[in-house]
Amino acid sequence: MTTMAEKGEHRYVLNMGPQHPSTHGVLRVILEMEGEYVMDPQPVLGYGHRMHEKMAECRSWPNFLPNAARMDYLAALIYNHGYVGVVERLAAIEATPRAEYIRVITSELNRLQSHLLWLGVLVLDLGAFTPIMYTFEDREKILDILEDVTGSRLTYCYMRVGGVVRDIDDKFIERTREYIKWQRSRMPMYDKLVTGNIIFRKRIEEIGEFTPDMARRYGLTGPVLRGTGIPYDIRRAEPYSVYPEFDFDIPTETTGDCMASYLVRVREIEQSLRIIEQALDKLPDGPFMAKVPKKLKLPAGDACYAVESPRGELVYHLTGDGSDTPYRMKIRVPSFSNLSLLPELCSGMLLSDLCACMGSLDLVIPEIDR
Amino acid sequence: MSDVMNTSLFPPELLRILFTLVCAIVIVFGNAVVMGYLERKLAGRFQRRPGPMEVGWHGILQLAVDGVKLVGKQLIVPKQADKVLYRLAPIISFAPAIMPLVVIPFSPKLQGRDFDVGLLFILAVVAINVLAILVAGWSSNNKYSLLGAMRSVAQNVAYEIPMLLTLLSVILVTGTFSLRGIVEAQSGGAWFIFFMPVAFLIFFAATLAETNRAPFDLPEAESELTAGFMTEFSGMGFSLFFMAEYTYMFIACSLTVILFLGGWSGPPLPYGEYTSALWFFAKVYALLLTMIWIRWTFPRVRFDQLLNFCWKYLVPFSLVHLLVTAVVVKL
Amino acid sequence: MESKDSVIAALKKVSVKVQEVDFRQRGYDLEIMLESGQLRAFAELLRTGNFYLSFISGLHLSTGIEVSYQFANYSFPCRLLAHVAVDADNSLPTIADIFQGANWHERETKDFYGVIFRDHPNLKPLLLAEDMEDLKPLLKKAHSLKDRDALTRVVKNAEGNPPPAVKKEDA
Repeated sequence: MTTMAEKGEHRYVLNMGPQHPSTHGVLRVILEMEGEYVMDPQPVLGYGHRMHEKMAECRSWPNFLPNAARMDYLAALIYNHGYVGVVERLAAIEATPRAEYIRVITSELNRLQSHLLWLGVLVLDLGAFTPIMYTFEDREKILDILEDVTGSRLTYCYMRVGGVVRDIDDKFIERTREYIKWQRSRMPMYDKLVTGNIIFRKRIEEIGEFTPDMARRYGLTGPVLRGTGIPYDIRRAEPYSVYPEFDFDIPTETTGDCMASYLVRVREIEQSLRIIEQALDKLPDGPFMAKVPKKLKLPAGDACYAVESPRGELVYHLTGDGSDTPYRMKIRVPSFSNLSLLPELCSGMLLSDLCACMGSLDLVIPEIDR
Repeated sequence: MSDVMNTSLFPPELLRILFTLVCAIVIVFGNAVVMGYLERKLAGRFQRRPGPMEVGWHGILQLAVDGVKLVGKQLIVPKQADKVLYRLAPIISFAPAIMPLVVIPFSPKLQGRDFDVGLLFILAVVAINVLAILVAGWSSNNKYSLLGAMRSVAQNVAYEIPMLLTLLSVILVTGTFSLRGIVEAQSGGAWFIFFMPVAFLIFFAATLAETNRAPFDLPEAESELTAGFMTEFSGMGFSLFFMAEYTYMFIACSLTVILFLGGWSGPPLPYGEYTSALWFFAKVYALLLTMIWIRWTFPRVRFDQLLNFCWKYLVPFSLVHLLVTAVVVKL
Repeated sequence: MESKDSVIAALKKVSVKVQEVDFRQRGYDLEIMLESGQLRAFAELLRTGNFYLSFISGLHLSTGIEVSYQFANYSFPCRLLAHVAVDADNSLPTIADIFQGANWHERETKDFYGVIFRDHPNLKPLLLAEDMEDLKPLLKKAHSLKDRDALTRVVKNAEGNPPPAVKKEDA
């Protein structure tokens, strides 16, 4: 670092990552430290870079479907949803109503397991080992349910243009209902074990001051944004799929600290459960796959499709040229923008608070690196 | 010593010392095995999983296997490390851990030596551990290790004060530094925990910090400092630190039992002079289990919170406690 | 700016070419063609209008590289996509001082397309390694380059019928 000499000799550089317990993957952060205080954290990206956008340009559009699951391994179904959404929008295809409901149900299950993992990992970052095992127990139930219908547990490739691969059956519905009951019964325990824990509260209250202005400057989205008091959720702001048909709240907090985004996420778990419940009640009959031409060419033109991933706004921007290969595909991932404010947010913080901040940003590194 | 040696080839005093040393080493290793197994098994149970189950009945031999594995591993010395200090640090940490066991009275007859200043002896010897951690952190030539070492020193220096102040409260009542004397002062169920519960709580909190246990495990806070001062250590270097940690926990809990929980006293047993050690161990392991329970329940505090807790709450409370005790004793 | 119409009015005032598009077909509300000279004023306007930067992306056309900026607003639904053709020396002014989030997006665009953002505070490779600076992965080979017209939706007739992109029935 060239700035070292200018700023005084008592500063030193601490290299956090790419292998470090609380960077959650291959993120590297170069920390300029003064004692235990972080003066200038600079994230270094690209350790998991696979150039998905180039891959999209090199293969016909159906062959990109598996890639869509491999960016954010915690929200693969939501990435599926965004990708089939953008192709459908560009090619003016409509999925069947039943398929849209199935997509919403599975996406919300996916969001739940992501939030549950985040909950455990955040508390793990703060030094408590036990809650992650409890959230994994819950998460395992979701993964089992999804495994039965999609065939995989993490990198789902379940949605297709026009619908989904397999229909859900009564067993799926029954198990999901059981799971909803189970998850509701678990939340009071998390309240007592985690939210009510005095050490936990002291560790994340008033840490990391996200403000609405900072959010606008950096393009912050997701639960962290809603923690600053802005009720911005793509599911409500730019409704897609059949989300307008459900009654759910957008939880917000006003303080903008790590505690706020923590509370927002925990309350989102309940909202996702509500959406799944309503979707199961309203689930229409009919085909789960629309009639789609066998050799679908992407028409010339471009289209965007924004979905709400567990971490914020995910946008696919697809440009077609009349062939079956996209001319250009841009994927806007939420964690990329969310992480970019780390240097401003965490300057002057203690090392422990930096870990808390990164934990509450809920980073998924392969998503950032793409 | 030399006079004794001259009088006979195996003087009883030498035999006693040898026997004590053997017993101490047995206790150190036995305790590490028992604690290692208990910690993993209990952590598993707290987390709704079975814990180690593969090796032996319910995984009871897991620690033996782990021990063999650790002995077989190479002690990797980083290229830029201060090699002498780096190799020395685990030994500096481990060796003093054995010495306090000499003066701890397990039962009326089971005690290596009763010093008049037994309590001071333990405190003095245990304090060497801080040096070991500092040496380990410094010699590793790793910033995480150094940060962990710095934290450890600040933490241990801070928490020694409330610990000593609460000790003084006890000493004011008993009037002796001899551990046996302190236990005998509590005979008949007059345990000090009933008279000074606040002192017990302060002392227990301070021992948690002194032994670097969660929620005060900042020197090795793995989510921030990877493994703190232990980051670079592998094989036996690591396992010596590991065993030393459990031994210091054992010593800290023994001290708590001696000072506040009446040492070996309990319902009478046959051959009580020896077998009442059972009560002593029962109490010690009850405290150790509490430590494990706390570790697997709470998140870690932040460093400034840790020091604030000590200087703003523990030190003033223990000072007031000492004053009140002094007044009561004088009256 | 409180609504889409006020945004259009404000943009027209600074003589920016704005075109309203159908959200259901395109996924955004306004398509904007910018001159590179207008870029910073445009960004400042959106900054005062409480927009946030969603992403910056590039597009390699036969006429050169085009950089797209997508903005959206937290308070009302208005997603806009602005296209700017790069200057002759393959550069554009930075907006990283107006929207700090643009910093990384511009670095990424530099990685993938080699577009230089003038006055950028730190234009080092972000996702690619430092020794891969010559590799511009998203630049296309000359034979596969297309121009903007080939990538624009064909609207069949003036009555505004939906674009006949796919014959839905024939599958």
